[in-house]
Amino acid sequence: MMEPNFKQYKAYFELLDQLFEIERKLENIEETNSISRNLNKMKDIFETNLFSSSTSSDIGFTYHNPIGEPYNETRLDVEASIAGNSTENLVIKEVIKPIIRYKSGGSTLIARKGVVVVESKN
Amino acid sequence: MENTINIGIDLGTTNSAIAKFVKGDVIVFNNPLDYGRSTLPSVVYYKKDRIVVGNKAKEYLERDPKNVVGLFKRKMGTSESFQIKSINESKTPVDLSAQVLKELKTFVNTGDTLESIVITIPASFDSIQSNATKEAGKQAGFKQVVLLQEPIAASLAYANMKKSKELTDGNWLVYDLGGGTFDVALVRIKDGEMKVIDHEGDNFLGGSDFDRLIVEKLIIPKISEQYTFDDLENQMKSASGKYNAKYYSLLNQAEEAKIRLSAVSSAEIIVERMKDEEGNEVDMEITITKSEFNDLIKDSIDGTIDMIKTILTRNSLTSNDVQFNLMVGGSTFIPFVRQRVEEVLQIPANCEIDPTTAVAIGAAYYAATKPKEISKDSSEKKQYSISIKASYNKASKETDELFAARIKGNTEGLFYKIVRQDGGFDSGLKELSERINEDLPLVENAYNFFTLTVYDNQNNVIETGIEPIGINSGFGISGQPLPEDICLEVDDYDNPGQTRLALIFERNSVLPTKRTLTFPINKPILKGNESDRLWINVYEGPQTSLPEANKLIGVIEISGKQVSRDIAKGSDLEIAIMISESRDVTVSGYLNMSDQEFKNVFNPKERDTNITLLKGQVTDLSSKLDEEIELATEKEDYETASALSKVKKEMEAVADEAESLTDDDVTDKRYQLEDKKRKIAQKIDSATKNKRLQKATDYYYETKAACEELIENSGNDHERKTFNDIVSQESAFMATKSPLKIQEKSDEFHSIIGQIRWRTPDFLKGIFGSLLNDQAKMNDQSQAKSLIDAGNFAIESQNWDRLREINFGLLDLLPRGSKEDITTKIGFGL
Repeated sequence: MMEPNFKQYKAYFELLDQLFEIERKLENIEETNSISRNLNKMKDIFETNLFSSSTSSDIGFTYHNPIGEPYNETRLDVEASIAGNSTENLVIKEVIKPIIRYKSGGSTLIARKGVVVVESKN
Repeated sequence: MENTINIGIDLGTTNSAIAKFVKGDVIVFNNPLDYGRSTLPSVVYYKKDRIVVGNKAKEYLERDPKNVVGLFKRKMGTSESFQIKSINESKTPVDLSAQVLKELKTFVNTGDTLESIVITIPASFDSIQSNATKEAGKQAGFKQVVLLQEPIAASLAYANMKKSKELTDGNWLVYDLGGGTFDVALVRIKDGEMKVIDHEGDNFLGGSDFDRLIVEKLIIPKISEQYTFDDLENQMKSASGKYNAKYYSLLNQAEEAKIRLSAVSSAEIIVERMKDEEGNEVDMEITITKSEFNDLIKDSIDGTIDMIKTILTRNSLTSNDVQFNLMVGGSTFIPFVRQRVEEVLQIPANCEIDPTTAVAIGAAYYAATKPKEISKDSSEKKQYSISIKASYNKASKETDELFAARIKGNTEGLFYKIVRQDGGFDSGLKELSERINEDLPLVENAYNFFTLTVYDNQNNVIETGIEPIGINSGFGISGQPLPEDICLEVDDYDNPGQTRLALIFERNSVLPTKRTLTFPINKPILKGNESDRLWINVYEGPQTSLPEANKLIGVIEISGKQVSRDIAKGSDLEIAIMISESRDVTVSGYLNMSDQEFKNVFNPKERDTNITLLKGQVTDLSSKLDEEIELATEKEDYETASALSKVKKEMEAVADEAESLTDDDVTDKRYQLEDKKRKIAQKIDSATKNKRLQKATDYYYETKAACEELIENSGNDHERKTFNDIVSQESAFMATKSPLKIQEKSDEFHSIIGQIRWRTPDFLKGIFGSLLNDQAKMNDQSQAKSLIDAGNFAIESQNWDRLREINFGLLDLLPRGSKEDITTKIGFGL
């Protein structure tokens, strides 16, 4: 599998981080202008349009918010800070940056790790 | 086989790295599990059944100190050992260092067998500590271990970067400020021999201390000033504190701010998603300026300067006796560190080497000068005969899937590791036994590939011949595949007045599935005008056939009567198509301009047939049929003509029946007619397919030849590659015998041709010439004139880039209406 050098996409990742922030803020707002539609459209552009050409389709980036997901030391898709006293039954409590995945056809690669804070469920 | 060692390791207190000398240059290997980084945190985490080294271990360092060990290099050569609770064993610093060295072996992707190595040690290491490091190397499976002092390694990296000339005799300093430790050494070179004369250090000073200072001294006081908290600092820093999680999030932001401050004069930290004691939502943007940050770390930096002064005094040297101060370690990226040290000591700071990898690079340069001392035959390899029989579900809807395997052969002293190929999972190093069971986490809706690798106790890979483990998430089990292509009918801009199908979901896509597409509409929809209509027609059936030949499974009609305002031509229509697992089709059309959504769910069992649409299709089909018959007769293709004539009779009957159907007919008639119509369309389709195929194929070869010629004369590498890519797929798409597929490829050639032409002077001049003829039609005459003047000048001065821009500018001035004026059926197209 070709491993693309993701460094060149840094600015795009920053844009995705912003979309993620907007999405998160929207969750707490009731609004009538269907802003989420524009947001989803932008996410869709990143996922399917921005990097696809006629010869290679379905290449793109998506982000994933891992909030609430279980965490342990085998998980390499996030960089975690562990809060609290225990290291058992860790869950992701705060997401500072979402996981960005590179999608090509049916397979994916981690393009940028998420940055999270985890804490024991107990 | 190389005769020199060539590979060097920086076995650091906080971070380690490995580099190799290759043909005069040094490459630093990347951490395969941590994109973009070439360092490995020197931390080891023991769990009951596995060993984890590096970043993941580091995360647990503070929280699980009974099982995680870091900074063990400080204890090298002492009798101290670390009691590990989870495995109920004690590990010596040598054991732990060996684990880090073994992990570094997995970075090497050049296929080298690693038997000889250079490992760096601090200048402060005595012979017991040095021997302990050697021992760690041996334990990690290296047969020959050569040690090198870190300041010398950094100096070598510098000397080799300079290449041009040998360093002149004299003294310099190596100032190494990393993530958690500080070392400074005085290095002397005399007659080409480099030697560490003196050194000092602080084992508890580094970049992470600066992050902590930012949070504790700047952020927490500012939050406490504006909001009500009882001892916020304690609540954050104590593990049982209420805001402990927030503390780590702020540390993260502080680190980022610190990095940004190396480049800009202020950085923002946003504090939110947190409530104070009175329930007020905290929402603050705290600005940290460079000078605030510099003040914060000033005392620490001055401490390092004092150590240098001590060294100088001890060796009766003044600043003038020192050529430069070589900056190493990530924290020397901070401009203030460089400036302050330089300013106080009046010794020039030398920042020419990459401070994070300099030591490993220097070690590799040194390794390139050291001969290997292992005879080839002594490196006999143990032969393991291991066979692995794996069993797992190849498709899963779970978030993880159990992988089980039985191992045949002697598993003693062997380890294994399972890694997900997207870089998101690593099982850690686990002992191999007769049976292994591992829960493998899956990425949803994707192919997940894992590799299982078996290692011996020195982390050498043991061949097992096991295939990659492939698991499809979200596939197979209850998600059924689509039996046919799902397409959307669009206006065919290549054949004005006709429509074609655009593929939405390919056959065998797994349900449920969803897709959103946006099209600019090609005609206005005026409010209240019933005859202005957009059609969203979703078909099931091969993309390559005519729309009428496929089964219409969902339709939405948007007319002027339904819109809340006039919708302009060119505004966006967003179409979302969703197919559920039970194959319900949800179609929605959203008009951007009026913020209106039109949505309908179609059940596959109750077919929805729109009579207006049916009548229209029957009429279209009749005229298409007449055309085709005429064409076939003209070409004397009597076989096709007679086949079509037979269809003609059926067609007439259907047309009559359709005509008599009222719009509110409640019988089954419309469904029968729809079926008949489809069958007729299929017949026309198959009778004329050869003709269309021939046409598309001829056109393809024509375009290909034209494209090839252009590329040969004036194409660039990228265009050549795109061209070759298409050609290499030729046999595959030709085999589909689909005129549309082949047409698509011709279009791709066309876009290459376009690209090249827009660079070639003759073409640009030609376009400019034809635009001159249209000057009278242009919208803004004065602008047109100035562009034309500029164009003439561009031709004179042969500035083709400029001429291209001018052509685009002139094209924009042409009135839109004169560009395209076609009647369209659907309202949007491709």
